[in-house]
Amino acid sequence: MFAIRKLILVLCLVLPSVAWGKVFLRWTQDVIPKDLGVNALVFPCASKGHSVVQKAASEGYRVYLECSAQEAQTIADAAAKSGVMGIIVTPGDSELSQVNLAVRRLKAAHPKLMFLLLNPNAIPPQMKGTLVINKDGVLHVTSPTAQPWLDTNLALVKLERAFRPGQAPLYSFNWSTGAAAGTQGPDVSDYALAVAEAGAFRADLVLSVHESLQRGLANNDGQAETTWKEIKTYLRFYSRTQRDDIPDVNVAVITDEDSASFEPINLLARHNIGTRVLRPSRVNRISLEKMDVIIGFSSLGGHLLQMVSDSVAAGKTLVIVNAEGKAYPWHSSEARKISDDSVSYVLGEGRVIELKSPISDPETFARDIRGLIDNGNIQISLWNALTTIGVLYREPGSENKVVELVNYAADPLEVQIRVRGEFPLIRYESPERGCCEAISPVIRDGFTEFSVPSLTISGRVHLQKTKSAHLNTLPRA
Amino acid sequence: MRCSKTAATIFVVAFISVLSADCQSSVYKKKYVMGTVFEVIAYDDSPQRASAAIDAALREAVRLDAVMSNYKPDSDLSRLNRPAHFHSQRVPPDLYRVIAESIDYSRLSEGKFDITVGPLVNYWKSVMRGGQSISKAELEKLRACTGYEKIVLVPPDQVEFRSPCLQIDLGAIGKGFAVDRMVAILRSKGLSSAFVNAGGSTIYGLGSPPHESGWRVRLRDPSGKNAPELVLVDNSVSTSEQTAPDLLGTSRAGHIVDPETGEPAVTSAAVSAVARTGTASDALSTTLLLLGPKKSAPLIQDTAGTAAIWISSTGDIESVTNGPHISFTGDTRSNISSQSTHVERRGQNCSQYGN
Repeated sequence: MFAIRKLILVLCLVLPSVAWGKVFLRWTQDVIPKDLGVNALVFPCASKGHSVVQKAASEGYRVYLECSAQEAQTIADAAAKSGVMGIIVTPGDSELSQVNLAVRRLKAAHPKLMFLLLNPNAIPPQMKGTLVINKDGVLHVTSPTAQPWLDTNLALVKLERAFRPGQAPLYSFNWSTGAAAGTQGPDVSDYALAVAEAGAFRADLVLSVHESLQRGLANNDGQAETTWKEIKTYLRFYSRTQRDDIPDVNVAVITDEDSASFEPINLLARHNIGTRVLRPSRVNRISLEKMDVIIGFSSLGGHLLQMVSDSVAAGKTLVIVNAEGKAYPWHSSEARKISDDSVSYVLGEGRVIELKSPISDPETFARDIRGLIDNGNIQISLWNALTTIGVLYREPGSENKVVELVNYAADPLEVQIRVRGEFPLIRYESPERGCCEAISPVIRDGFTEFSVPSLTISGRVHLQKTKSAHLNTLPRA
Repeated sequence: MRCSKTAATIFVVAFISVLSADCQSSVYKKKYVMGTVFEVIAYDDSPQRASAAIDAALREAVRLDAVMSNYKPDSDLSRLNRPAHFHSQRVPPDLYRVIAESIDYSRLSEGKFDITVGPLVNYWKSVMRGGQSISKAELEKLRACTGYEKIVLVPPDQVEFRSPCLQIDLGAIGKGFAVDRMVAILRSKGLSSAFVNAGGSTIYGLGSPPHESGWRVRLRDPSGKNAPELVLVDNSVSTSEQTAPDLLGTSRAGHIVDPETGEPAVTSAAVSAVARTGTASDALSTTLLLLGPKKSAPLIQDTAGTAAIWISSTGDIESVTNGPHISFTGDTRSNISSQSTHVERRGQNCSQYGN
């Protein structure tokens, strides 16, 4: 009896912080199957008032309409009355920043409706080969052995978090641009990867379901149901994602929302370097406090320059990109040429490295940034994991950490991981293997090393300083 | 294994009239193996047969990875690297064969190709990742561990190391060897039109696509100025290039190490080597990068069906051929245009690359 009471108490403490994972299914069929494994469906804006929308709402789904800002303005009142939970606003040809403003106005005018701004510029996650195919047929470009290129949305999520802080990053992509294009559409691993990626990056996803799969599900087709059952394993797993944990990062990227910084941020993410994107107006002393390296893509001036200079003087490294022709206070000290394109200055306890030009080779840049972080300060390292992205989070209010892993090769890998800090208790859970397996760590020189035995598409590692009730109450497979 | 349909779809679009006439379908699959992405495209009347053949070929690559990997502690190579010092060890036939072929290339290149430089490569890779540099004397000690002549083959299947610290690393030949085995499997399954790509660095064109003279391949050009192309028909091309220097100029490391000096090769050129097999093109590309065009000419002359092109980061080109023809954009012809070895130079500065 005491144990049950204890469990209920623990669940009460835990449940409020566990939110539903936000995968919104984009649905176009008239028939809606029960138990799709999500609680949010998205219909085209023109569906407003259609019976399918009402039916979905009556079956307990949270119904969203996907509309442009202009359409949203027109239909908002009627939508609210027809049981629609919210409107997902698509930017169309407009800039996201402009639509962001429109969404804020809509929220103010229609407080009962939820308005979410969608970034439609995501890409289907995949591991890419190096084949290039053009109109004249296969045209392959040779290269030195290429590391697998990963199409990942982590950079987009980081930028969304910085530039649209009012909502969780919400994105969508078109399967036709990815590996899963074609008449049959994506396969299970494509969908699973998409769901896993969004969950691991703590982002919301509007997921398109291929027409043929939707039809199959609507018609109770056995094969479609089997396929969806597998996808639901991932939907379920990420529906209990701890959404308020905090990315554990030590590299700050100060940038306006410009294209010049996108690929460098993408490659930093690809190299598992924990970065936080900061828009210049949002930089403050606290946001720089835990950083080891600060990268400036934007011009630094005024108060921002003062804050960054103070941080650097306290022992950090600042890398300024495209610095040619700009005047900074440290130019009065002696410059040390480190290459044709770069010079460095000493600033207090820290240093400033100026790169004259924009980044032409983001891969090498990312490697360089990793090299600038003292080995003792590298938060996370992965080995034998060229197809894997690992994101490190801190649990709020504790020293425990979580590593989310996504393997874009979708084939089982044994991944070796090293995390800064000492964590004697490690447990691993995954959609494929359930929860939870104990992993034996090796603690060495202030780092915790361990292996994930078989990472297929995705998994989550819980690192604990001490045993807690929360981990023991995670559901079993 | 994930089967991607994009390539196949675009390919079908590109050859739509051809395909409807021939009733041949293309199948494309990829797999992460040997630290990179292996891709295969095949044409056949039966997509099922093509698909099954590609699956078998990719399985072969995975099997060979378990034989030749020096990352996997339980691979046959790792097992050989541990105890084979001063007494012979029995190895699987594939490992014996690839080591034997490697030694042939070492002799042919007078030691520029050497599968024993592993300890040096590992050291320089660690420097690239921010690891500590070692002293000249320590580096010399590492270099003393290397030397292909310290490998002794005891037929039919045993290998011995005549050095207490020798280690084999098949990184400069393994993918080419795997590509050849994959092609053999595709052939044995009845396919006659396929394209095998091992991470961009070694590729093989089996036969040709329907109604085409061969598989068009654009070669790596670090300058982006020349767009050199090659048509592969039952032959292979491999590309080698030293790791790009870091933007901060703080490291001189690189993954291609000259066995003679023990130091990373200093060159910004990319070299593409054409040969009749993947094993040969893979082994040659690293060797020719180290040798440079002038010293490479005799080697190419001795090996029928080979050619090579060196392209610098500024766009200067030198090429040597003993058969295959490398064209530039708008000039794609048959890849067999000459039977004599010659050196062709383009660009303002015909410098020699490599050490």
